[in-house]
Amino acid sequence: MATAAAARVAGLLGRLRPQLARPMSSGAHGEEGSARLWKSLTYFVALPGVAVSMLNVFLKSRHGEHERPEFVAYPHLRIRTKPFPWGDGNHTLFHNRHLNPLPTGYEDE
Amino acid sequence: MTHQTHAYHMVNPSPWPLTGALSALLLTSGLVMWFHFNTSLLLLMGLTTNMLTMYQWWRDIVRESTFQGHHTPIVQKGLRYGMILFIVSEVFFFSGFFWAFYHSSLAPTPELGGYWPPAGITPLNPMEVPLLNTSVLLASGVSITWAHHSLMEGNRMHMMQALLITILLGLYFTFLQASEYYETPFTISDGVYGSTFFMATGFHGLHVIIGSTFLIVCYLRQLNYHFTSNHHFGFEAAAWYWHFVDVVWLFLYVSIYWWGS
Repeated sequence: MATAAAARVAGLLGRLRPQLARPMSSGAHGEEGSARLWKSLTYFVALPGVAVSMLNVFLKSRHGEHERPEFVAYPHLRIRTKPFPWGDGNHTLFHNRHLNPLPTGYEDE
Repeated sequence: MTHQTHAYHMVNPSPWPLTGALSALLLTSGLVMWFHFNTSLLLLMGLTTNMLTMYQWWRDIVRESTFQGHHTPIVQKGLRYGMILFIVSEVFFFSGFFWAFYHSSLAPTPELGGYWPPAGITPLNPMEVPLLNTSVLLASGVSITWAHHSLMEGNRMHMMQALLITILLGLYFTFLQASEYYETPFTISDGVYGSTFFMATGFHGLHVIIGSTFLIVCYLRQLNYHFTSNHHFGFEAAAWYWHFVDVVWLFLYVSIYWWGS
């Protein structure tokens, strides 16, 4: 009976001691071997996933350049309430001459 | 004896909160001057003072913690609360843009043609570059977890390899998004579709750049032996921020790119 109680107390002390032995450590401790798991996941799952997606984009891009849509002067698009603070005030920041028409139409027509 | 008898950090007086506030004033007034009066001096001054404040303030925190040992467990606990609350505030920031998107797209007005995407808008194919972007960010979440576990296990080389992969993936995402921005047939001026698309994805891209910068700083600190296997909160904060950026993208992808097409 006494030995069982002593064993329980020793067990409690055993659990407490690691905390007392590192009083000023302020980070979580990872279990051993978990880095290997995430390394494997990185090289066998995550990066191949990126490679497959890259292949997918490359294959789709070879499908052929689709014709750009015909220009329709919709009033709800290409809004110019105030000029942009750069350039001539009429071009968006990532303006693409071939794909982005101005309010008056494509620039390279 | 003049040593402190508590474990908290009583920070020495610092000019950076003031210079930070002044830089915020210069940035805001600078934007006004740039938008309305076509002058950029105030804005440039604001950007400069802002960058200088951030560099010096965070440099001082590294000095106080890594070199002077002020970050005891209770101090670190406060920093954890702080980072979590900051990220929560960012969640609310993005919620606004998602609210705007759903408000406009769930009930498209007659001016747009009564449907979504609106008339004249050809949305991006979610199964092309946006899907690649998703895989890139998800992969970077895996590699940063590898970096963290390597750090906790004391494996210096692996930690740097994993963190480098994470940073490269982040930069690749930024490159891909920038090229997407140049190749889209619609622009920010294309009605509420363009506005919601570019505000939401634009601020997300800015956060990717911020997160990548944070990770690069962590990489430089790791090079200089700042982190230990059980005390590396700067890295953890960067990792939390990076996961947050990843989650925002997932919401963007599902809502705007996929459902919104």
